[in-house]
Amino acid sequence: MRRARALLLCLMGAALGLTGPAAAEPTDTAVKAAFLPRFARYVTWPASAMPKGSDPFVLCVIGADPFGGQLDAAARSQTVDGRRIAVRHLDSATGADQCQIAFIGGSRNQPAGQLLSALGHKPVLTVTDSANGAQRGIIHFALVGGRVRFFIDEAAAEQRGLSISSRLLALAVGVRA
Amino acid sequence: MTPVVRMTMRWRTAPLAIFGLALLILLAGIAVIAINEGTYDRGRVDQSQSLADVLAASAAAAVDFDDPAAAQQAVEAFRVNGQVRMIAVYRRDGTAIGGYDRSGAPVASTIVALQAPQENAIRVQSPIVQAGQRIGTVYMDIDRESAARRISRYALLAGLFVLAALVVASLGLAQTQLRRANRELASRAEALTQANVLLEEQIEERAKAEDQLRQSQKMQALGQLTGGIAHDFNNQLTVIQGSADMLSRPGLSEEKRIRFAQAIVQSASNAASLTSQLLAFARRQPLKPQRLDLNRLIADMDELLNRTMGERFRVVTELAERPCRVEVDRAQLQSAILNIASNARDAMQGRDTLGSGTLIIRTRDFGEVEGKRMVGLEIADNGEGMSQEVRERIFEPFFTTKPTGEGTGLGLSQVYGFASQSGGEVTAASEPGNGTTITLMLPCIDSGHADPVPAVAAASAETAPAAILVVEDNVDVGAFVETLLTELGHKVTRADRGEQALELARRNHFDIVLSDVVMPGMGGIKLAEALEREQPSLPVVLATGYSQDIVEGGSGGRPVILKPYRLAALSEALAEAMRSHRG
Repeated sequence: MRRARALLLCLMGAALGLTGPAAAEPTDTAVKAAFLPRFARYVTWPASAMPKGSDPFVLCVIGADPFGGQLDAAARSQTVDGRRIAVRHLDSATGADQCQIAFIGGSRNQPAGQLLSALGHKPVLTVTDSANGAQRGIIHFALVGGRVRFFIDEAAAEQRGLSISSRLLALAVGVRA
Repeated sequence: MTPVVRMTMRWRTAPLAIFGLALLILLAGIAVIAINEGTYDRGRVDQSQSLADVLAASAAAAVDFDDPAAAQQAVEAFRVNGQVRMIAVYRRDGTAIGGYDRSGAPVASTIVALQAPQENAIRVQSPIVQAGQRIGTVYMDIDRESAARRISRYALLAGLFVLAALVVASLGLAQTQLRRANRELASRAEALTQANVLLEEQIEERAKAEDQLRQSQKMQALGQLTGGIAHDFNNQLTVIQGSADMLSRPGLSEEKRIRFAQAIVQSASNAASLTSQLLAFARRQPLKPQRLDLNRLIADMDELLNRTMGERFRVVTELAERPCRVEVDRAQLQSAILNIASNARDAMQGRDTLGSGTLIIRTRDFGEVEGKRMVGLEIADNGEGMSQEVRERIFEPFFTTKPTGEGTGLGLSQVYGFASQSGGEVTAASEPGNGTTITLMLPCIDSGHADPVPAVAAASAETAPAAILVVEDNVDVGAFVETLLTELGHKVTRADRGEQALELARRNHFDIVLSDVVMPGMGGIKLAEALEREQPSLPVVLATGYSQDIVEGGSGGRPVILKPYRLAALSEALAEAMRSHRG
């Protein structure tokens, strides 16, 4: 019931954001775009999953990309352990091995749930958005009280060998341990 | 400078030093508290800074993800710290994301709007940094410790310092008091010294005054004495001179010549008894002590006493059973008894007793008196008695209650002198109207028998002519003695000094030497001793008015004839000396 309403609100917010005139406040999408590179600071990957040498940190958007240039802009202003962040766009789970963070946008061919399954237990921080469906990655964006918030599935993270900082956990709307 | 004053000088600077020390302690206390306070403040700032740093770290994610709720949650964690007055967390763009104000007022919405910290608050700020980027700032105001807590924290310390200062200050006060007391003591000591000096001066003056008083009393007594002697002597001399003048008149009948000669003899005798009494008072008469039975002496004096008392008065003697014997000069004792008796007679005559006057003479054993056994006489009359003033003076020489010309004032002083010289004492008990009792105490010698009373001197000493060496420094006396002895048929050689006599005795033969005792150069006793060594067979007779040597040391067993002497006495003494020397 609550979820349904939240979903409704999200949808409404998204509709407004998309259709409404540009406001001084950053849009939810912009906020999410700003959040994505920042997650990297609060998550520890297994050494094997980290980029080799001076390779950049890779943030992938699999399927539909709601951010446009906003994500690139956000990624450019951030670094992770001194590495720059590269944004890659993938159509499918194929090639997702190189990603440290993957935003599952879903597509017509492969809905989000399917993409998640495809990634399986790879050490990738998966991020989903309630706007794209109920399927949840390790981090799941949701609008709470008109603000962009997120849920964290800590159990799923542990399954993939990722360790999430308690500080980030503290910011989550809900944590599944 | 006295030690006390010197000490005061040394201590004078001490209180100043002590008060300085007290001030120093107080300053040190203030300094310690100030330093402590500074350290504490720095510690407080450091502590606050680390609090802000902790908050900056814990709120980093919230700021990073722009989560005011989470930021507020991070802030709320500091609410438990009561000293935190205000916390404000600002984003990179300076807008507030979270905050807390203890007073309940809203937190400034931007850094620009943030006001300066209130008084007694420490403000610290800490940047919120994420991946090397500053993403926001934490501002934190923390209470400087409240005055009350600070005071309570320093109260003990301050109390200790104040206490120390007080102790030192009170020490200084005590020192001041001590100094004052010392000064007072010094001044008192000085006053005491001055008083002492004054006292000593007064004592000296008093002693001087007493000396002068004694001297004047002595002079007064001497004047009384010499005046009395002169008076009595002049009386006797008048008779002698007058009789001698009469004798030198030609064609004097035999009967008149004898009368004048007897008058001269009588006056000379009176004068001699006068000097004898004088010497008795002066305790310088040569005594010839002999053992006497007082009962017998009184019995022998019966006739003499009756004659002295006259027809009107009775003499009653009460003799003790066996009185102890005494060893005194018989003639002096008789003289003393007669003196007392004649005073009693005069006292009873003064009272119209119609023949009821009685003189009682008791011999008594007084027992132990001051460690000596004493015996003696009590001579009581029922005459008019005397007042205390008179009684106190009766033994003074020349003190008399009789009209001028009737008493010499020497009678009782002879008694006094005799008693003292004989180791005894004399006291008088009397009340006006109740008669007088004179008590004469003498030491008891209860051994041996009484010496025989000397037989009345042989009628006249007709002695064989002898060669006599007369040693006399007084030319008149020498010439007189020479005339006297020549008249008696002796061959006389005169020497006026001891040394000359010794020389004469070596070269010539003498049967006997008659020598004065007191002479310049070699005295009579020295001469007698020298002669005894050289010519033990030559007898020596000493003649003296009075001589300290004989009174104190005796004559060494040699016969002594007292001046003034009568022709018969001189003749007898010489004959006796030659007789006993031969025997």
